[in-house]
Amino acid sequence: MPSPRRLIAGLATATVLALALAGCSANASTPGSGSSSETGKPVTGGSLVYLEHQAITGLYPPGAGFYPNGGIVNNIADRLVYQDPKTLEFEPWIATKWESNADATEYTFTIRDGVTFSDGTPLDAAVVAKNFDLYGLGDAARGLTVSEAINNYQSSEVVDKNTVKFHFSAPSPGFLQATSTINSGLLSSKTLDLPFEKFGPGNAANIIGSGPFTVDNEKIGTGLDLVARKDYKWAPKSWSNQGRPYLDKIQITVTPEASVRVGALLSGQAGLIRDVEAQDEKQVTDAGFQVYAAQTNGVNNGLSLRFRNEKLSDIRVRQALIAGIDREELVKTIYTKNYPLATSVLSKTALGYVDTKDAFAYDPKKAATLLDEAGWKLGSNGIREKDGQPLTLVVNEAAPQPRSFDALTLVSQQLKKIGVDLQILKADAGTYAKAIQDANQVQIYHSMVGRADLDVIKSQFYSKNRNTLLNRDNADQSIGDPKLEELLQAVASTADPKARIEASQTVQKYLADQAYVIPFFEEPQVFATANFVHGFSSESVGRPSFDAVWVDKQ
Amino acid sequence: MKYVLGRLGQAAAVLLAAFTVAFVLLQAMPGDALMIKFENPELGLSPDQIAALRVAYGADTPLPIQYVHSLLGFLGGDFGYSIQSGTPVKQLLAEVVPGTLLLASLGFVAAVLLAVGITILANLPGLRRIADVFRALPSLFVAVPVFWLGIVLIQVFSFQLRLIPVVNPGPVEGLILPVLTLAVPISAPLAQILIRSVDDVLGYPFVAVVRARGAGPWWILSKNVARNAVLPAFTMAGVLFGELIGGAVVTETVFGRAGVGRLTEQAVSQQDTPILLAVVLLSATVFVVINLVVDLLYPVLDPRLGARKRGIARISRERKVVAV
Amino acid sequence: MSVNERETRASSLPDPFVPIRRSLRERIGRPKVSVVLSVVWLLIVIAWAIIPQAFTPLDPIAGNAAQAQQPPSLEHLFGTDATGRDMFTRVVYGSINSLSGALIAVSVGFVIGTAIGVIAGSSRRILDDILMRIVDVFLAIPSLLLSLSIIILLGFGTAQAAIAVGFTSVAAFARLSRSEVVRVRGSDYVEAAFASGGRFPVVLWRHVLPNSLTAVLALAALQFGTAVLSISTLGFLGYGAPPPTPEWGLMIAEGRNYIATAWWLTTLPGAVVVLVVLAANRVSAAIAAKGRIS
Repeated sequence: MPSPRRLIAGLATATVLALALAGCSANASTPGSGSSSETGKPVTGGSLVYLEHQAITGLYPPGAGFYPNGGIVNNIADRLVYQDPKTLEFEPWIATKWESNADATEYTFTIRDGVTFSDGTPLDAAVVAKNFDLYGLGDAARGLTVSEAINNYQSSEVVDKNTVKFHFSAPSPGFLQATSTINSGLLSSKTLDLPFEKFGPGNAANIIGSGPFTVDNEKIGTGLDLVARKDYKWAPKSWSNQGRPYLDKIQITVTPEASVRVGALLSGQAGLIRDVEAQDEKQVTDAGFQVYAAQTNGVNNGLSLRFRNEKLSDIRVRQALIAGIDREELVKTIYTKNYPLATSVLSKTALGYVDTKDAFAYDPKKAATLLDEAGWKLGSNGIREKDGQPLTLVVNEAAPQPRSFDALTLVSQQLKKIGVDLQILKADAGTYAKAIQDANQVQIYHSMVGRADLDVIKSQFYSKNRNTLLNRDNADQSIGDPKLEELLQAVASTADPKARIEASQTVQKYLADQAYVIPFFEEPQVFATANFVHGFSSESVGRPSFDAVWVDKQ
Repeated sequence: MKYVLGRLGQAAAVLLAAFTVAFVLLQAMPGDALMIKFENPELGLSPDQIAALRVAYGADTPLPIQYVHSLLGFLGGDFGYSIQSGTPVKQLLAEVVPGTLLLASLGFVAAVLLAVGITILANLPGLRRIADVFRALPSLFVAVPVFWLGIVLIQVFSFQLRLIPVVNPGPVEGLILPVLTLAVPISAPLAQILIRSVDDVLGYPFVAVVRARGAGPWWILSKNVARNAVLPAFTMAGVLFGELIGGAVVTETVFGRAGVGRLTEQAVSQQDTPILLAVVLLSATVFVVINLVVDLLYPVLDPRLGARKRGIARISRERKVVAV
Repeated sequence: MSVNERETRASSLPDPFVPIRRSLRERIGRPKVSVVLSVVWLLIVIAWAIIPQAFTPLDPIAGNAAQAQQPPSLEHLFGTDATGRDMFTRVVYGSINSLSGALIAVSVGFVIGTAIGVIAGSSRRILDDILMRIVDVFLAIPSLLLSLSIIILLGFGTAQAAIAVGFTSVAAFARLSRSEVVRVRGSDYVEAAFASGGRFPVVLWRHVLPNSLTAVLALAALQFGTAVLSISTLGFLGYGAPPPTPEWGLMIAEGRNYIATAWWLTTLPGAVVVLVVLAANRVSAAIAAKGRIS
């Protein structure tokens, strides 16, 4: 006869499994390697295992905004100028000097002598001109897009072997910074002739730059190696390493599961990991490992309230949403101290930042009053209604952003208390791509953008860039708030540096006054390193720089 | 011979139908690959720029022409390029297929071994007291989510006990945990069939006769388990192969391996039609071929069926498959 | 079947190649404790689905952020999640979604699959071949691709995921029901029914179907457990139910990121699923055993 033992046996096995699992959490052990202080003498040689979250999708520099792409481009391609990630000041890199005319429609760069691409060809003014002709104008026939960072580009002019001049159809004050971003990584002439397909996965080793590393041993979807260029000697002056990279090799391995990345680091299988989730930081530091949070110096992680939607067209409703969200509770519950509470639409470390935190204060009573005044009355189910319509709003889950889903879940709990029903859109890429372009489907847009230039605010909100507010309606191309357009244009086309900063501050204040945005926090890129790894740093939007990284001989 | 030709014709029809169904399914999805690729706000492209790119990619070609075009391409061995990354589909497949084949076949072999092991343990006279534990194992095996199993195995064997690395492991080390993860859920139905058929056989009176003549329980068991294991395992191979590819996606994601499963999942999410059509064609071919082979070899493997009509052989095969 | 039973069966020696029929007493037998336990457990879970508020006073959607990520305690049996929601409450309220999801999945596979199988099994060679090759097409397209495409077409949600999962089991149901119908059709009493002038549909309905369905029902019970897991796997791949609906599969999938820091988030809902699947399998085995006796 079948006995109860069969079921009990099953139960017992399940319990054992569960206990084994509980055991895992109980003792996060310390690593075997001896730790050393950051001040030791750098060692040349050795290799590092770096765990990435996702595989690369292509190494065309204007498309390097996708994090894994940018992480490679930053290390294989040099830029004309270098932007210090801390001070955000510029210094010479491939260009030894630069100047622009008063209205920022003409830039002249002097190119350093003796720089070569990794295929041996020289990096001269002609190839620099070819780079920016492509990044500034794009080539639709080859499927190659324009760089988002470059505005009003017209043409290039090779003055002599070491001098190149760029012409713009309108003032382009952000161009100097644009030349420092990963989107402007300098590639060899041959590489620039490639069609889009050849920038894709499987061909990474053929993307030739002049950077400290080259790509080798690519395995599509699972990773690649960065190999040091032994003859690299044109690092920016402020880099601690002026010669060849200390490491011989960096093995980049794609490891999609967050728990596996952390576990691999703690058990000594990797030296560096990206995308440490907030809840795992403690586990890392408790085990004596370092967490490295790189600020991204741009538009903060937050919500754009799409005011052209009928429900959000009333400023009182938007103000109520702001007052109904307890941002401090959000940051405290979901994130860590590496995610500072936002005090403006821009990060404190971004250029042109101005404090507007008073506009984002938490005040649920005020929120309720505002909604009452706006005619949204509490319905029987706790959700407010007007003309029989419930106050239901949809926000997108921002998959690339850290813990977007958890954050929005908490926000929807908070808004429920003031009678607002916030739904989170989770959909396949096709449906998602359509829905976020339509304010009737997605009224609130969750996003951020990192770029250490005043232009960043224009990138986020301008109708012809990311257009996160959907100020330009996709259906009829009409503009809802021409004043916002004008203010954003001013940031991108004011030549005078001081006036440009003021223009950015005007936009920040305007966005806060109009209750167009709810910034959450200043988004970092969070890495963790093992104790034997030293000298890790990142560029101005958090892409890793491996040139000065070294490891203890073990 | 006529039978073989008929089967071949049917197989070709199945292939064409699978290709067509997949094409229609993919076209019916909301949005398309170009939209997902270029209308991503993170690229910050203006509407005019997007429109120019769409024209460059030939997005305005009518569907029937696209269908004929890709069908002819496939017939000529040209699988096209991934829309998302631009990499030739052939290259993508060449990169992942060997790994998946290895993982799937080892997983399958491990599953058969596991199932045979459980069956033997569940029937060993010396282990009668705990036989029910082994009998409960298959149910437990199907009840555990694969991704959970994979993560737990990594946590325990790689991170706590530090026996096997998961990051850049050697070729053999790198297969142990994924193969186990893949094998466990597949072994469950196999073990269930085996335990049941051994029970049935041991219930036959002739066993008592054999026993009465002095055969040990080991002899009976090994003879029977061996004979009963081969057929269902062989039969299931055809059906399970598609499952293995599907099941592999989870294993591949957890262990960070490149494979057909992950390629498929990513291509679906980006609606990368050329990749998906190639995957469908590949898996349909494998399915059709395995089934053809199973059909043709069935009488050879099961002498009892050799004498009977083939129609019955097929019925019996299908019964065995679904008895899972 | 236990060892004792086998020995009893092996000790008597009638016709050597026919399994012994069990006696009537054996057929009804003592109530099997494991089956009873399984049924009781399934009833509890069904009760969760119907009257969740009777099992927990808390709200599955509104959390208390101050109590985020608490380990299991008397107050929170299964602990709390990242936004302070009570996990036990979410599991209880999630049962309606998970069970109805599994039910939809099984129904889709059962209805479509059995329909195809029965028609194929009771038709002539050509229609039979055509139908079974259609089933082959279903099997030839990787089930992963099939289910993901269906979800994308139908939109995200538990019901949609369930339909997708159901579709992938159509082939199994079709093949099983077809072979059962063919088997029963060839049996003596069906021949007899035809011989005594029964019309085909009548014979099919009165004699063939009832005798074919036990095996199919057993498969359905088995699929029930598999469906819960498949929905969970879809959640793992990011194709789960829309938030904030509590659903078991999605809870396990999303809790996995906390496996080293908050083990209860994935383990306890996982344990509930394991128990439900075990119970469903036990019931399935019982149905199958009954089928073999009668």
